[in-house]
Formats: sequence, structure tokens, C-alpha cells
Amino acid sequence: MEAAWFLFVSSILFAIGIYGLLTRRNMIRMLLSAEIIFNAALLAFLSLASLDAGYGPVGGAIVVIAISLSAAEVGVIVSIAIMMFRMRRALDVYELKKFRG
Amino acid sequence: MSLLSDPLSVVFILSSLMSVVAAVLIVHHKSIVYSAFFLSILGVGNAILFTLLGFPIIALFHLSVYVGAAVTFILFSVVMLKEAPVVEPPVKALAVIAAGVLALIMMKIFSVFTAEPSFFLNYRDLTALLVTKYWFALIVAAIALVTTLIEAITLARREV
Repeated sequence: MEAAWFLFVSSILFAIGIYGLLTRRNMIRMLLSAEIIFNAALLAFLSLASLDAGYGPVGGAIVVIAISLSAAEVGVIVSIAIMMFRMRRALDVYELKKFRG
Repeated sequence: MSLLSDPLSVVFILSSLMSVVAAVLIVHHKSIVYSAFFLSILGVGNAILFTLLGFPIIALFHLSVYVGAAVTFILFSVVMLKEAPVVEPPVKALAVIAAGVLALIMMKIFSVFTAEPSFFLNYRDLTALLVTKYWFALIVAAIALVTTLIEAITLARREV
């Protein structure tokens, strides 16, 4: 199985994520679309890292750290979304403009 | 025909299909709760692909931390939230074109990599690298996870 096949799957996931990010205004749906892009990026990263035995462990280490940071990022965005919902009763990102200083 | 005779190729095709269908459902499903559920399916599909690439430890980490913690956190949080309207159709058409062109460009670039992955991650190499070369990044990631835990507790106590 060539690495290009894994990278093709990653490209399709990336495109679906970009589509979701561009067409949705709901903050949680935008977060979910961004998570699709994150998964696509991980797949592309590991596909390329697996081609060279020297870079394999480095790729693995970076992906472990990336997954941990992604979990933290999800927590931050969901917290903002819940706070926004409590204050405005909506998750429309256009409403976020009203939160400015 | 030869592609289907190889069990690994069959696993690759099934897990890829699972990931792509889950991604489409995340974007298009009416219920946001089901969308969050499909994100976990995408995570499982990706974990299988990671294993096929020779990274079974990363796949287990992905399942435990990403699917087990992050996606579950989203899933339980979205239960209390409502859906907002989507953007008008012209933007949707433009988004389809942009995403399609992007996918084609990426596929063209990635078609160069015709080599086969012949790597299997040794967990000793991974841990040695993490504690020697990437120790600072590991500490930052740990602090970020603790911050998330504090956020979750604060939300649960309704202090925001």
C-alpha cells in the first residue's frame, strides 16, 4: 500500500473540513470541522513520517504532543461556546462581534 | 482484484471509507449531538489508519486521549446547546468549489509519494525521544491538559 493512498484520504478529509468550516456559523460545528482538518493533518504527518525510519519516532513524538494540545484546545473552545450560550442563548459566531471589549 | 486479495488493503479501504463517511456526516447531520458522535467514528477510523502505517502506540493514544477524552467532552457539552442557522447557498457553492480545488491540488502534490511505508514504531524509541529531546513540549502539553481539567471543573460548578 503506497503512502500516496493515505495522503489522498487525508486530502479528502481536509477538503471536507474546509467545506464545513466555510459553510457553518454554529461555533460547535465549526469546531467539529476544524477537528476533521486536525485528523487529516495527523494522517498526512504520520504518512510522511512512516516513509523514513529515521524520522518515524520524531513524527510519533510530535503527533503525541499535538493530540494532547488538541484535547486542551477543544476544552477551551467548548468553554467559550458554553459561556456564549449562557450569555446570548445562541452559538452563531456572528454574535461573537458583540463580545468585543 | 489484486487489491482486494490483500487483507491489509481491504482494512485500508474500509477504514478510509469509515473516516470519509463519518467526516461527511459530521458536517451534514442535522443533529449536532450525532455530529459529535461521528467525530469519534472518524477518530476510530484514523486510529486504524495509523496502525496500518506502523504507529500502533499512536493509534492507542489517539483512541484514549482524543476519542476517549476530547470527543467525549464535546459530546457531553453539546447536549445543552442549540443549533444556529447555516450560511446562505451562494457561499455554500463557493465552499464546494474551494474544497474541491484544494483536494485536487493536494492529491496532485501527494501523488509523488509512491514509496510504501515500511516502518514500525518502537515505543522505547518514542519515550526516549519524548523525555530527552521533546521534554519541554511534553511539559507544556501536560500543563495544557491540566488547564482543560480546571476548565471542565469550573464549567461543571457553573462559575462562568
